[in-house]
Amino acid sequence: MNVRRHPFAAGLSLLVLLFLWLPLIVVAVNSFNQQTIMAGWGGFTTHWYSLALHDQNVRTGLETTLYIAIASALLSLAIAVSGALWWRHASPRARAAYDGLIYARIILPEVVSATALFFLFLKIHFTLGLTAIVIGHTVWNSAYAAIIVQARMAGLDPALEEAAADLGATPWRAFRRVTFAALLPAIIAAGLLAFTFSFDDVVTSVFLQGASNTPLPVVILGMIRFRITPEINAVGLLVMLFTVTLMSFAVLAYATAGSLGRSGRRGNMLDIYRGR
Amino acid sequence: MTESAVDITGVQKRFGDLVAVRDLDLRIERGEFFSIIGPSGCGKTTTLRMIAGFEEPTAGRISVGGRDMTGVRPYRRPVNTVFQSYALFPHLDVFENVAFGLREAKVGKGEIRARVGEAVSLVQLEGRERSRPRQLSGGQQQRVALARALVNRPEVLLLDEPLGALDLKLRTDMQTQLKDLQRTVGVTFCYVTHDQGEAFSMSDRVAVMNHGVLEQVGTPEDIYHRPASSFVANFVGTANRFAGRVESVQSDRYAVAIDGVGLRIASGPAGLASGAAVLVLVRPENLVLDGAVGAGAGLDANVVDTAFLGAERTVRLHSPRLGELTATARGSGEAPEQGSRVGLSWADDDAWLIPAAEPAP
Repeated sequence: MNVRRHPFAAGLSLLVLLFLWLPLIVVAVNSFNQQTIMAGWGGFTTHWYSLALHDQNVRTGLETTLYIAIASALLSLAIAVSGALWWRHASPRARAAYDGLIYARIILPEVVSATALFFLFLKIHFTLGLTAIVIGHTVWNSAYAAIIVQARMAGLDPALEEAAADLGATPWRAFRRVTFAALLPAIIAAGLLAFTFSFDDVVTSVFLQGASNTPLPVVILGMIRFRITPEINAVGLLVMLFTVTLMSFAVLAYATAGSLGRSGRRGNMLDIYRGR
Repeated sequence: MTESAVDITGVQKRFGDLVAVRDLDLRIERGEFFSIIGPSGCGKTTTLRMIAGFEEPTAGRISVGGRDMTGVRPYRRPVNTVFQSYALFPHLDVFENVAFGLREAKVGKGEIRARVGEAVSLVQLEGRERSRPRQLSGGQQQRVALARALVNRPEVLLLDEPLGALDLKLRTDMQTQLKDLQRTVGVTFCYVTHDQGEAFSMSDRVAVMNHGVLEQVGTPEDIYHRPASSFVANFVGTANRFAGRVESVQSDRYAVAIDGVGLRIASGPAGLASGAAVLVLVRPENLVLDGAVGAGAGLDANVVDTAFLGAERTVRLHSPRLGELTATARGSGEAPEQGSRVGLSWADDDAWLIPAAEPAP
């Protein structure tokens, strides 16, 4: 961009970048800061990392979060893939209804769906806890997974299964060797995305947690409220690195999926991610 | 007598209220290049899909290589298909696409390598084995689809408008290649297209379908010069038609009274009775134009328009007694002047009769 010609846009962009990156940089720097009150630089240390890694709350939180994220991602994939398989041969009207349900789940504010689920579970005497959180996460996670898997499915020639059958593949073999195999990059991308969304979720988890172990993001929230120590910076940076790594893999997988399509369309999963 | 490659007996196919194919009887002989042509919705693709096993006939029986295919799933049939969209597997390279059927048939590794190599070289794609389908041109993808089907040595190769997505020049090249390929491998080809020129240029025999009904089966020459119905005559080219009535029969020749023309001799199918209402067909290239009015046994017409097409010239004519006519003349000659009056004639051998009132199906 020409800064001189668009001074306002340039200034605004700078401000946005600053607000996005400055806190992250401060967190990263402070995670190595010896000074406890973080008022200035007190020297380099990895003490906070060893504290974080040995903190029982953080470790249980991480385990809980991993359990929820993996369960929710798998459940979302099952829903997304079976939905996409059905969608392919559905009538236009049924498709529109199905798509509407997907977008509704994405547009709906998370606090609303979390509250609704909270009251629903109370009403049907479903014990709040890990399972409830997994269900809560799957409500919106499955919608994102469905969009990604469906985008890939739409790019596949509807005659592929017939071609496989024509070449001697039973329906199950045709699904495994052709449909599933062709969808795989999208399935991987959708799974990683769902995992990441679930991994850093706070709202739904807080509402549906009940008396179970606390997931990591909620643990972090608690740590801030209780007493801020530089340990939180170390936890934050680790979570950030982990999430960024997973998202990179997801984007990579999705780009591969796009390049395999008939028209060679590239997926724009990043747009979806920004939407959240 | 040897078994035919495909034997279709009394086949009917309904989709709800729609009858896609009715009372179809068809034999495709071993080793021939057979085409089914017709306008869209005529039932040709449905017929092909029934042979492949993607659709089950509502009634009737289909045998392939003498074996009844009723209830046999597509993956158990000794036929392979080249799809209109090619339906290549996007996640597999050329080698794996071609090897797909062999792997399903549990063929040994060494034999797979040999047969895939053979098939790939047959369609001139050596060196592209590791390319993904989307890295290939349309014509190359088409050849991968061919190799993928042929490598399984099917009893019959089914081709569903395989050249439809290619541009004209490539299509013409592929027609020649397909014909050569069929002669080389000797596999029975069953080819579906809406393009009669394509079918004529490659086929030993052609079937013409319309509204789910088989109108005629025969060699391209039969179909073109001796069409069984007005529909066939029009579908495979332009035809000038004159209404008439059979006056007398002499073996395969008929004397016909043509409205507004008089008595003429024409050939026709056997069995037309004296007094039968007929249409007399004369192809545009058989209509002879003569500058001298009155030369064509008193027939004449006005030149409405001429169109130069290169090798030939299309001349639209209007005759007060016969209505609109089309003739073709050599492109190299002098064009008849627009609005001029010309004499018309044709040889007896170039006139062909079809029954005017076709019996209701």
